[in-house]
Amino acid sequence: MKKLLSILLAMLMVFSLVGCTQKEEPTPTDGGDTPTDETAEGKVLNLWTWNDEFWGFLGKYYADETIDEYTLKKGDVTIKRTTYPSDGGAYQDALDAALLNQADAAADDKVDLFLAEADYIIKYTNSDATMDVKSIGVTDFSNTYKYTVEAASDANGVVKGVSFQCCPSALIYRRSIAQDVLGTDDPAEVQAALDTWEKFDAVAATAKEKGYTMLATSVDDYRVFSNNTTSAWVVDGKLNIDPAIQAWMDQAESYTTNGYAKYATGVWSDEKNSEMFKEGKSMCFFGPAWYFNFCMGNAQDPDKGCFGDWAICKGPQAHFWGGTWMLAATGTDNPTMVADIMNTFINNEDVCSKLVSEEAQFSNNQKVNNKFAADASYGNDFLGGQNDTAVFAELAKDIKFQNITPYDQICNEQLQANFLEFLAGTVDKDTAMTNFKEAVKVAYPSITVE
Amino acid sequence: MEKTNKNNKKSISYAKWGYYFIAPFFLVYAIFTLYPQILTIYNSFFENYRDGLNIIGPNFVGLANYKALFTADSSGVIPLIKYLGNTVWLWVIGAVPQFVVSMLLALFFTSTRLNIKGQQFFKTVIYMPNIIMASAFAMLFFALFSQVGPVNQLVMAMGIADTPINFLGLQVSVQTLIGLMNFLMWFGNTTILLMAGIQGIDEALFESARLDGSTSTQVFFNITMPLLMPIFIFVFITSMIGGIQMFDVPQILTNRAGTPNHTSTTLVMYLSSYLGISKNYGMAGAVSVLLFIITAVLSTIVFKSISPSSNK
Repeated sequence: MKKLLSILLAMLMVFSLVGCTQKEEPTPTDGGDTPTDETAEGKVLNLWTWNDEFWGFLGKYYADETIDEYTLKKGDVTIKRTTYPSDGGAYQDALDAALLNQADAAADDKVDLFLAEADYIIKYTNSDATMDVKSIGVTDFSNTYKYTVEAASDANGVVKGVSFQCCPSALIYRRSIAQDVLGTDDPAEVQAALDTWEKFDAVAATAKEKGYTMLATSVDDYRVFSNNTTSAWVVDGKLNIDPAIQAWMDQAESYTTNGYAKYATGVWSDEKNSEMFKEGKSMCFFGPAWYFNFCMGNAQDPDKGCFGDWAICKGPQAHFWGGTWMLAATGTDNPTMVADIMNTFINNEDVCSKLVSEEAQFSNNQKVNNKFAADASYGNDFLGGQNDTAVFAELAKDIKFQNITPYDQICNEQLQANFLEFLAGTVDKDTAMTNFKEAVKVAYPSITVE
Repeated sequence: MEKTNKNNKKSISYAKWGYYFIAPFFLVYAIFTLYPQILTIYNSFFENYRDGLNIIGPNFVGLANYKALFTADSSGVIPLIKYLGNTVWLWVIGAVPQFVVSMLLALFFTSTRLNIKGQQFFKTVIYMPNIIMASAFAMLFFALFSQVGPVNQLVMAMGIADTPINFLGLQVSVQTLIGLMNFLMWFGNTTILLMAGIQGIDEALFESARLDGSTSTQVFFNITMPLLMPIFIFVFITSMIGGIQMFDVPQILTNRAGTPNHTSTTLVMYLSSYLGISKNYGMAGAVSVLLFIITAVLSTIVFKSISPSSNK
């Protein structure tokens, strides 16, 4: 009896193991075998994101019902969200794995729609993982900004996705500090005082004398320089440092030595965010509409913030920052709904208007934006009533989407991180650059680094 | 005749059962440890990574990955060697205080002369930090010691410094924090193991030593320590292997960068950087194999040099 029991137990342990290992196998085979029915579409739409910004809009302006933080319902289709953080390429990493597995995944597990940023969108548009959105019914680009379409097109001009926002980036300044430093907080006059880097540097010196810092961190204006490069990060397979990037490094160095930038920390650091509180002493920030809506929570804090004490102007150079594109994944089983979502966020004037008026976004519909830009009564309370849409509509004309490579996110992140170590005084400049190059080499074995 | 036969049968079948009982472990080991290990060694001889969505390789490259690992960067530093040094150093500054404090605590708790009350309470409390996830613990320290964090507010309020101290940008403070966190997380665990070891020693030995008039120091070095050796070696080697694999605390505290200047980048952090966006199985495999060799060699040395059996 004891023997029998022990055999049984041992077998149970072994089989439970075998059971576990086998369990996972049927799923892919099932999925692979299921013939895709062309007429009936899937009941689950999988959306991949790195934050919940777009998700919120989708819930409010597209879905019928919000089930929970990760599930929406539209008709009888369930929209599911899969989210990984963008930092360090974690999102790209997970997404790549899912896209490479797309053919084997069960219909309801396939990626249907995924979001991508300007820094790496080219990796996906230039691959077979995305598909021509014109073929699924997204054809009207007459109102979208040209650069948003260019960014989502592959090398042959086939459009693979759309953006729900246009992201010209502005100089965001504290009105009260500008008043003290420049004697005015009027956007036009502030712009006149800051329209070249020379003037910007001069104002930085004045600000310092009055006890302020021009920037919260030395990397705050990195994007202004990196968007105005004349060459890409990688040229003929070799890592290339553009003169504009070099110019940023020089400026960051002098701003740190002169005390024009308060901290030598990252663009998302707590140190920088703390400068957005009422008692913050930093005058200028840079960012598009999504930045002050979505990332300046400290400034909007009712107790410690300084809501309304802000305004925007063009700054020394036109640039853009980020932007979220929706790309249609090859193999989606919900092409109609994917196209419907895209069309809603670029061509549905009602939805685009709400994005502007209720979410303070700068939409990707020129007609809607221009309507708000021309409306004298329209203003953003956070910016002290300034009509931000009018400023952005003007800035959007100057956006160039150029010198883009799939490697940009890591190159930008690593250059800033390593140069910050030099600015913080922990390494010398050569070591910082060596560390940067090593990091690029580890991240991208195919790039030649000298 | 019949009886012996029966006995024989019985003894044979018992032995067989023993093997059956341990079989599940070996099966699990073979599937989840041995097989991946062999696969890792195999992979380390291949060029195999992702460039965007394209998979490059696997192409057999022989020892090229290992050669690349031992190539110095433009400032003449071989990253691998530097990170190995970091790893050992970060382990030492956490482990040495940990052994000393744990040993003292274990002695106090087990001493019949001190007879500390409320032992259960203290044992639970010192074990507490180990229950918190290392990443959460590191996150907490990251927030505490940021330039706008509470520690800096305290430092400035007390007038120690006028401007915030960049704790997470200084080699001394970052390494100290990592050592401190590892110490805090593991000293409770070590104390409990050592206590079990000391309690396993025959109380009569301590009593007779005391009757013979030996001092506490003499008792410790001549009775406790030699008899505790097997447990102490176990604690030492597990701590060392854990130290070589140190990852979560420095990774999160320094936001993956091993700041400043990679002085807190450990070998496993280096390994994980190869598995980031490039999914470089070849290079990561090579780092893993080296890590395996280092661990094996160090463990053998430690085992041979302090194991009592070798002294005989």
